[in-house]
Amino acid sequence: MTSCCSVFYFRNELAVLQALSSTVQRVQWVFLFIYLAHVYIKAVYCEVMWKSHMFYYLLRFFFFFFFLNLYQDPTASHYRFQDDPYLTPRTASEFKLFSLSQESGRNAAKYIINTYPNFFLKDYAEPHIPCLMPESLQPKVTEVCEAGLRELIHLRKVRSAVDMYDRLLQAGTVVSLELTNNLLDLICFYGDQDPVQGDQAEPEKTAEGVRDDSDSLHRTWRKDNNAERIFHLMPERNERSYGALIRGMVKYGAHSKAFDLYTDMQNNRMAADVHAFNALIAAAPEVRQKYSEKWDLIAEMLKQMNKLGVRPTLLTFNTVLKSLLRCGPLSRALVLQVLGEMKALGIGECGPLSSLSLHICIQGSLSSRTACSVSGPFSFRILFHLQLLLIRAPVRCSQKMYVCCSLKDLGLAYRVHSLLNVGDNWKLLGNPSREGFYYGSLFNLVCMMENIGVVLQWYRDLVPSLFYPNSHTMRDLLQALDADNRLDLIPEIWKDVKQLGLATVSGDLAEEVLALMARDEHSPEVRKTLWSLTTQYTVPSYNRVLCDEKLLALCNMATILLAAGRTDQAWEILQLFKANNRVPSEKLLDEFLNSAKSGSNSEQAVTLVQMSSSFSLPATARLAQRVEQEFDLSEEQKKALQDVEATSDSDKD
Amino acid sequence: MAVSFGGAGLILANHAVAHMSRTLCAVPRARAIHSTAVCCKHQAARIRVGKGDKPVTYEEAHPPHHIAHRKGWLSQHTSNLDRETGAAERTVEDIFIRRFIFGTFHGLLANELVIKRRGNMLVVCALFTQKIPAYKLYFLIGYTETLLSYFYKCPVKMEVQTVKDKVVYKYL
Repeated sequence: MTSCCSVFYFRNELAVLQALSSTVQRVQWVFLFIYLAHVYIKAVYCEVMWKSHMFYYLLRFFFFFFFLNLYQDPTASHYRFQDDPYLTPRTASEFKLFSLSQESGRNAAKYIINTYPNFFLKDYAEPHIPCLMPESLQPKVTEVCEAGLRELIHLRKVRSAVDMYDRLLQAGTVVSLELTNNLLDLICFYGDQDPVQGDQAEPEKTAEGVRDDSDSLHRTWRKDNNAERIFHLMPERNERSYGALIRGMVKYGAHSKAFDLYTDMQNNRMAADVHAFNALIAAAPEVRQKYSEKWDLIAEMLKQMNKLGVRPTLLTFNTVLKSLLRCGPLSRALVLQVLGEMKALGIGECGPLSSLSLHICIQGSLSSRTACSVSGPFSFRILFHLQLLLIRAPVRCSQKMYVCCSLKDLGLAYRVHSLLNVGDNWKLLGNPSREGFYYGSLFNLVCMMENIGVVLQWYRDLVPSLFYPNSHTMRDLLQALDADNRLDLIPEIWKDVKQLGLATVSGDLAEEVLALMARDEHSPEVRKTLWSLTTQYTVPSYNRVLCDEKLLALCNMATILLAAGRTDQAWEILQLFKANNRVPSEKLLDEFLNSAKSGSNSEQAVTLVQMSSSFSLPATARLAQRVEQEFDLSEEQKKALQDVEATSDSDKD
Repeated sequence: MAVSFGGAGLILANHAVAHMSRTLCAVPRARAIHSTAVCCKHQAARIRVGKGDKPVTYEEAHPPHHIAHRKGWLSQHTSNLDRETGAAERTVEDIFIRRFIFGTFHGLLANELVIKRRGNMLVVCALFTQKIPAYKLYFLIGYTETLLSYFYKCPVKMEVQTVKDKVVYKYL
């Protein structure tokens, strides 16, 4: 339990650590001693002798890593699963199934807790733990009054709150400005509809830091909106009301109305706050057509912010960069300018959120057809800037890695991967499918660029604790093995493939493996293992699947079996050819002949020639000749051969 | 405490009587009643030897005097230490948790639960058989953890191990 938390706190150091892991043993006792000495001295003297926070942090870090050996364990599955072979997911689909079923169990428990709260009210906890009490979603105050409205707003019941407000107005009570502003905030945030309740929402509650608000995309700002109606009914409006309405409009797509409201606000000499400005900047690209006009509008907004003395935050620059995405090709030069502004304002260093500049450049490079190579050094510069500013870039990691892949830049990929360990960036990996995409691209790049030792090291580290490969990735791995002549590792890789459940789907991977195995001459041990592979898996399944028999696969299988010295099974495969109307290649028949010769089996040779004649192969004559020359044949066999030759001659004619 | 009304008294009486009997006629003898305090057979957590067809796990096969010798403790908390309070409450919680899990994971428990308390946390260590598919087991695990957390207002974690069938130690 504690180890998991610590891993997250100390992910910064993981990358460094793994390089140093070999030197751990001797060092760890020294650091343990130093740590204990530090603690003792601190306790004795009651004042922090070494005031430096950095030093203490360093000591703690060394203690946790060297002494307690808290690294990522590459052989274990994700920590949310139980540590049992039956309960460990083997494939990506099992991963998703298990996590979703666990989550739905939790939801079922929450449902029961909220439906029968009277059993869960006894409070054992000494400092009260509010999150472990049943939630009461029904409002307690029933009569029409301000407190009731306040409660409804707190419980996020949009329609009932609007209802209550109307009733209050009808009853003649004056609702305070602040309460009305709260109501406006509520309506504008939820777009005038009730928010989706907990049990109807998606059950997947993995740590998604940057998740699109999918329900908001489906709603649009209606014309006869409650928010606007209430806004017009208000006797006095302040900046907050305007701000709420502007933000709601921008969120739900009524961009031009937002700008109208903004001009209204300016006419009333009210100063918008930073959130309203953010919303307007986000809306700016929608209300103008030409790229230059869009940028002009954004710049205009920024200038007005400056004039009013509103200080831009990290979020402001985020939205500026996001809007720059829509401004087309001239965005690239502007991005660096914006970054410069941020640096000048000193924003990046303390902000918990981060900039989207890498997002911009990636999107830009993805969308632009030209100069992929240009964006390479460009993105590098951006990355450099980011690291300079200690900004943690919250771009979708999967996209980042995809760009690195397309740019074929390994160094950049490694840097992005190390960025993952900084601060909150692990949230950027998103849901498991995106995470799979990220690791897939990373591994693809590594397979392409690095030698086999490094590739295998990455493979061992990533699979299966962090990443369940799909057939593309396995194919890349096979190609890497092929390139480095390490085909003797195929049995282990194939074992993994079977475990991942990739062995049966469409059979492409199987064919690839077979082709690789059949192609080269291997040593006897490798041949034996390869044979065991084929017989374990391929023969039964190919017997079952009648229509999808691929010719090449069959040929390869037969070749492998012959090479491994298992002639009986090879002959069985030959029967399969006949059964499924496939024609074996001449090379294959030659190999069969060779094996028959080494086994001095003339019967087999004759059958072979007969088979080839039944397939009407042009090589029949040649084969027959070979058989006659190389084998001692009995009379009948010779006769059979001559029949065959005669038929083949007549066929030719 | 065996109190024999016969025995020594009779011998003394005999001497007295022998004395007297020389003078008087013989005194009739009485049968003695031996009685002890009630000593019932120990029957706590023991399975009596039967025909030999009843499979029994290691936990069940060993009677309680083997705890700390051949068995461990099923419930681990610090309330039984010196000057610590709350043992009774912990026991009641344990009983509830055992019944709850026996019912929720119906037919799946291969052995008794082990309940550990670490700080604020309750760790329920369970051994299940593999009778249901793994995703159903995860559903039940998520459900139990959440429900018990809300019930006892403390984090409850389950550490689950699965086994093909109940592990038989011997047949009694």
